[in-house]
Amino acid sequence: MSSQTGSSILQVESLNVFYENFQAVKDVTFHVKEGEIFGLLGPNGAGKTSTLSAIEGLLKPHSGEITVAGFSIRKQPMQARANMGVQLQSTSFQPELTITEIIKLYAGIYGISLSNERLNIILQDIKLEGSASKRFGQLSGGQQQRVSLVISTIHDPVLVMLDEPTTGLDPQSRRQLWERIEAIREKGHGVLLTTHSMEEAEAVCDRIAIIDHGKIIAIDTPDTLVELHRNDPNVISVSRKGKITLEDVFIGLTGKTVRS
Amino acid sequence: METIIPKSKDAFLSLLRADLKTQWRNRRSVVMSLLVPLVILISWKGLIATFGGAFVFSISLTIGLASIGLMGYAISVARDRDKGIFQRLRVTPMPASFIMMSRLSVQLGMIALLTIAVFIIGYQVDKISLTPSGYILTFITAFLGGALYLGFGQMIVGLIKNSETVNSGTRLVYIAFIMLGMFGELSSNIQFKTIIHWSPFGTVKTILAAAMQPAAWNNDATFALLATIGYALIFSFLGIKWFRWNSAGS
Repeated sequence: MSSQTGSSILQVESLNVFYENFQAVKDVTFHVKEGEIFGLLGPNGAGKTSTLSAIEGLLKPHSGEITVAGFSIRKQPMQARANMGVQLQSTSFQPELTITEIIKLYAGIYGISLSNERLNIILQDIKLEGSASKRFGQLSGGQQQRVSLVISTIHDPVLVMLDEPTTGLDPQSRRQLWERIEAIREKGHGVLLTTHSMEEAEAVCDRIAIIDHGKIIAIDTPDTLVELHRNDPNVISVSRKGKITLEDVFIGLTGKTVRS
Repeated sequence: METIIPKSKDAFLSLLRADLKTQWRNRRSVVMSLLVPLVILISWKGLIATFGGAFVFSISLTIGLASIGLMGYAISVARDRDKGIFQRLRVTPMPASFIMMSRLSVQLGMIALLTIAVFIIGYQVDKISLTPSGYILTFITAFLGGALYLGFGQMIVGLIKNSETVNSGTRLVYIAFIMLGMFGELSSNIQFKTIIHWSPFGTVKTILAAAMQPAAWNNDATFALLATIGYALIFSFLGIKWFRWNSAGS
């Protein structure tokens, strides 16, 4: 785990997001520090992706302030985006392009000069050196995720945002991705990830925020959250294994009802 | 840590290179865009003596331009929007306008390719040749007509969020354009002929036919030119206004 003493590289203050009359994010405030993996957890439709989209600049918040590496998303969007790497939920690359072409495309967009030697190192690092000329659409889910992660970090950003990065991956690929996420932390960079997996949150996140109905209802380290809610009757009532887990806390706080 | 903002030119060229490669890999769509107008050009050889080379040329080119704007541009934009490709590009430090500018640049290349192919086949098969000013004017009006259909395609992807609906909708509109274009002006109904003449198909066809014979350019061609520019501006304005970067609508 990190020391968690770094300064904030992402600050979200009083964020409010509306879709016409529906308020998806309500007065959300949190920050991500250097060398920290911060998890945003919530049931479907809780406001995780809306919060992430506002930080990424994909949607305009109704109010609130977001700064990335000291740059305001509203006032200095280019500088803020240059400091963030993003992995979206969908695969989101042209299926006709090869891995090499996709890496070159994004290197060009981020102004990175990429020698063939560096390109080979990147491909070896994601264990796809033999598939360099394969089209993105021909890759497996795990391979696509690896390409997606390498693209999100190709410009060595101080903040990496990952939207449900391990969804659909087998245990081996998931573990490998966790190691890559931890390697980003080791470099002193911050990671903001959303996930539905409590196992993932416990395994990699230094701090987590639980968001429900657009509001953050709990924010702390996974261990502290379990400690704080150990005696909550709602949490105890959903406990299945005789001991309180993060999943029990999550379900106890957000309810048992399945969200669409 | 130093913040590097990439040079606009480098970012745009990287994107354009990728879009050109994507277009090249979708060769089937390129061939289809060229095939229909060329088939018309070849199969209507017999009509040249009756209606003139400019008539056949202009119909062939107009259908090709409609194919590029509707089948090429609109369908690919709808598909990529659905896959989240635009959203992925929008989170980079590059103006979002570059995404569409690059796409449109590729389509302008397609328009140039189509126009040259029609000129070559027209000369080889139908022995149609134009004056140098005719070739230049035809090129310019082909780009204007292309702008109208690209605007039309943009309006469709602005109006319709679902990529499957865009796919089927544009095909339907395209077939309607072919039918109206090929047979509309042969109709004996004056009102119907007038509607076709001033429709987006008719105005493009009129300016193309007039551009091929610059000496015969008249008031009708000038009004058709103004109508084409007007259509292009209105379609583009609405297409941009209604456009959403993701198919969920945000």
